[in-house]
Amino acid sequence: MTRTFTTAATVEDAIEALGSGARPIAGGTDLVVGARQGKASLPEAIVAIDRIASLGGIVEGEDGLRLGALVTHEEIVANDVVRARFTALADASAIVGSHATRAHGTIGGNVMNASPAMDTGGPLLCFDASARIRSTWGEREVPLDQLWTGPGTTAVDPRELLVGIDVPAPIPATGSSYVRLEYRRQMEIAVVGVTAVVRLDGGSIADARVAITALAPTIRRVPDAEAVLIGSDGAADGIAAAARATAAGSSPIDDVRGSAAYRAAMAEVIAGRAISAALARARGEHVEIPASSSTYAGLGGARA
Amino acid sequence: MAVGTSGGKTFIRPDGREKVTGAGRYTADLASTGMAHAAFRYADHPHARILRIDTTKARALPGVVAVVTQGDLPDVRFGGLVQDRTLFAKDVVRFEGEIVAGVAALTETAAAEAARLIEVEYEPLPVLTDFVAAMDADAPLVHSDWSSYERDEQMVADGNTISYSTIVKGDANAAMARADVVVKSRYESDASQGVPIEPRAVLAEWRGDEVTIWSSTQVPYAARSGVAQTLQIPEANVRVVVPLLGGGFGAKCDLHFEAQVAALARAARRPVRLVFSRQEEFRAIAQRREGIVMEFETGAMRDGRLVARRARLVLDKGAYCGEGGFLGQMAAMHACGPYVIEAISVESFLNYSNRQPSGSVRAPTAPQVCWGLEQHMDEVARELGLDPVELRRRTLIERGAEGPTRQVFDEIGVKQTLERAVEMIRYDRDLPEDEAIGVAVGWWPSGPAPSGAYIHLNGDGSGTIVTGAQENGSGAVMAMPTFVGEELGMEPESFTLLYQDTAAANWDMGSCGSQTTFNSGRAILAAAADVRGQLLDAAAAELEVDREDLELAEGQVRVKGSPDRSVSIADIAGAGTIHGKGSGDVPEVPAGDTGGCVGRLGSETFAAPQLITQAAHVKVDRETGVVRVLKVAAAHDSGVILNRMGADGQVTGGVVMGLGLALSEGTVFDDDGRQRNPHLLDYKLVTCSDAPEIEIDWVQIPTENAGPRGSKGVGEPPQVPTAAAIANAVAKVLGRRVRQLPMTPERVWAASAEVGS
Ligand SMILES: Cc1cc2nc3c(=O)[nH]c(=O)nc-3n(C[C@H](O)[C@H](O)[C@H](O)COP(=O)(O)OP(=O)(O)OC[C@H]3O[C@@H](n4cnc5c(N)ncnc54)[C@H](O)[C@@H]3O)c2cc1C
Repeated sequence: MTRTFTTAATVEDAIEALGSGARPIAGGTDLVVGARQGKASLPEAIVAIDRIASLGGIVEGEDGLRLGALVTHEEIVANDVVRARFTALADASAIVGSHATRAHGTIGGNVMNASPAMDTGGPLLCFDASARIRSTWGEREVPLDQLWTGPGTTAVDPRELLVGIDVPAPIPATGSSYVRLEYRRQMEIAVVGVTAVVRLDGGSIADARVAITALAPTIRRVPDAEAVLIGSDGAADGIAAAARATAAGSSPIDDVRGSAAYRAAMAEVIAGRAISAALARARGEHVEIPASSSTYAGLGGARA
Repeated sequence: MAVGTSGGKTFIRPDGREKVTGAGRYTADLASTGMAHAAFRYADHPHARILRIDTTKARALPGVVAVVTQGDLPDVRFGGLVQDRTLFAKDVVRFEGEIVAGVAALTETAAAEAARLIEVEYEPLPVLTDFVAAMDADAPLVHSDWSSYERDEQMVADGNTISYSTIVKGDANAAMARADVVVKSRYESDASQGVPIEPRAVLAEWRGDEVTIWSSTQVPYAARSGVAQTLQIPEANVRVVVPLLGGGFGAKCDLHFEAQVAALARAARRPVRLVFSRQEEFRAIAQRREGIVMEFETGAMRDGRLVARRARLVLDKGAYCGEGGFLGQMAAMHACGPYVIEAISVESFLNYSNRQPSGSVRAPTAPQVCWGLEQHMDEVARELGLDPVELRRRTLIERGAEGPTRQVFDEIGVKQTLERAVEMIRYDRDLPEDEAIGVAVGWWPSGPAPSGAYIHLNGDGSGTIVTGAQENGSGAVMAMPTFVGEELGMEPESFTLLYQDTAAANWDMGSCGSQTTFNSGRAILAAAADVRGQLLDAAAAELEVDREDLELAEGQVRVKGSPDRSVSIADIAGAGTIHGKGSGDVPEVPAGDTGGCVGRLGSETFAAPQLITQAAHVKVDRETGVVRVLKVAAAHDSGVILNRMGADGQVTGGVVMGLGLALSEGTVFDDDGRQRNPHLLDYKLVTCSDAPEIEIDWVQIPTENAGPRGSKGVGEPPQVPTAAAIANAVAKVLGRRVRQLPMTPERVWAASAEVGS
């Protein structure tokens, strides 16, 4: 068995390597760790894309954000525009793994690994983000709601490279949050995660997005929960109804991380917290990033 | 790197720099010229008869230099109190990590491939995973012919029950009948793991008939005798050396693969190295924390007096005995706890199953049983209408009190630890309704054992301490130069350590049982006293003064009161004749009245017991069941503390490890006895970010039968009552008990949602 490992200097190099059967590696925190754990063996040919300068950086424009595929979770959390206007994404990146994971793990790797438990997916989906995909035959945009086809699978051809993710600018008076059930304060994997994005018009909710993480074969939106919220005034009973709808729209599994019954119950609890946090932010109230630890007072923040 | 304090002075531990800078070498870092790599073929069924093993294809694979099965080795069984296991499976495999064959090859890939190529034909046997149902009349037997095995006569061989132990004092039934209140509880703890950060590694190299084995073991001498016994060679021909050890927590006690690797190296005629993956470190080791089902019944009088305790414990031994044959009786002692109880009847069953073997992990059995018992004590307090701390105040042992087997205690600090812990946590303060403080008390014996040490002074006045003690990372061995320096009036830096090498020093129990300072420290201080005597004799002759008039200080032997009349230690040592040796007298194990007890395996009385109270302040998210521990106050009676910084470090680590046991660490087995979470993704250790504020205090009082300078053990006790204190706090918030350990968010949520208690 021979293995090849090459380092691409440019996007063109990378695409060429992909064309001849190589798999891209960015931070390697999914690919290598997964192989060590025996999930899938390492690909025979690997092309490292982590040195391609054009794949890095966050560009903030009038029309939204352009995230390079190599942007790390640490960079996302540190970005003021992301924190202010795409807060749910900052919530998500802020709780990926540990400091080391956030420093190495990229948004491109997170999205392309296509885990139904990955954290940035819900926020990106709710923000109508799309993936920019490049190959030797050109560039195309794939909206995130069409990207994931199942656990670990995407609509992207193995010969294609994700070069970046575009996130359109939200309309003002929008608040968002991503909340994950956390057993520990670091190194968690989502057992239940919920994204909520709400836009207020006057006192009522003009638009709403709710997405579930680790509660279905892919990360997906829950239209029933959104419908409950839209037009409501954001009061407790409306939030509770939307939270119930979120749980009803999920199809949780039973495994060592939690029973289906627990996950379903938590879907409701976490949805309630995510929606409340998004509403609070839409009203201009301060909710810490990450919202996961601050939505239950004192649990993640300073010690007593 | 300054990780020690002795006599108020801070010292830098000798292995600190290499560990912190990454220069240090662990076993997996070692390589030898011509070395081959080992891989094991594990059982394909958790319980099956082996009909045929065909190694032809494996042997034919290019690069393979040896394949070994039990048929190639002496027909010898090993194990502590029951000798029930062979190095490689003989006829029957009994758990998923059982080793069927070993392979050595020139690359790791070839070794793994060859292990796969071994063909094994099995006849599956019924799998027994339920260690309680193991006692049913129709349960399949894990060892069908084990009455023929060599075993200690105190081990009861009955079906799948490997040991049956009782602690009996007075007439518990009669006493129960006259109690004002009787409280019954049932608790169950899951299995868990030690999870040292370094997965184990072994490198074996033969020279003629002698083998040197570098191993990441906590117990090099036990490894040596295990190799000698299973390969049928003299102990003198086996040298076990431990490079730096990356943690153990008990999981690296006992013979662990040294003999298999040595057998492979002999067959391959090359050095062979085995390095475990994290999954193997979970699955293949025979050393996890046992699951226990516990039933407690206590009869108490209105004033709190405990008149009767009945308890029935069933423990999960897994497939083999290993060194863990004593677990049942140890658990029974913890079902009594450090309390005055008039009459006791505790019975404890240790049962085989087709699961990974269990063994000593940091305070074996104690944290689980303490977690059950201390919750039960809070239930008794509730029934009596007493505050839980007040009930303990009235019932804990004190000087003159009788233990479970009528051991009479001398000075003992458990009540002081209770008061200190309660004070540090500010027990009486008002808290928000989702927060509470829980308190728990536990104990742990010191383990008197032989040990021996040498101290050589070199011609330039530097010295070498030779000890069989094993450094597990706690710093217990690293503190030795400081103690020796204090005895001899020399700088600790004048000494180097030659340790964890069975060819250098004589037998030592190793890093287990919280006994390194207790026993090895005693031997080293005795050796230092020997050297001191020799220095005084030499100086007395030279200075023509009486020995009594001399003192050792600043590298000199000098006349008290006239420091200019002196001779330097270096000058005396220059003759090359200063060699000290010592063992010290092994402290006595106290007597008790054990006549009524069955299955006496050495835990029936506790020598120089260490007493612990911990109080935990927690916050519970009732909706999700997530528990955060905000603060733990730990007050310990470990006798005189010789190295405050090192001792505090043990408490800090023990509390954090206890947090894991309490809230997240549990091995989940499937219906076939296979582990479902043999990796760090789903076996959830506690992270630094989860660590609470930890406040520590030591109750330092003189102890009967103590170790050197009045010390007792320190390493295991912090693990004992941590989960129990957290459990009592959680129960206070919920108004209900979580009856299964670990108290995962889902279990806390379920308890919180359930009606009644
Ligand atoms: C300890 C630990 C904790 C973690 N915790 C979390 C967590 O809390 N939440 C979470 O969501 N994830 C978590 N992860 C997973 C992982 O860190 C993230 O998904 C990370 O963002 C992956 O990025 P990467 O660059 O390391 O991916 P890589 O491992 O480099 O790649 C992942 C996959 O994507 C493909 N790929 C990468 N870049 C591209 C590209 N530009 N175009 C096409 N395909 C590409 C690779 O071929 C591979 O299949 C954790 C991982 C570890 C090891």
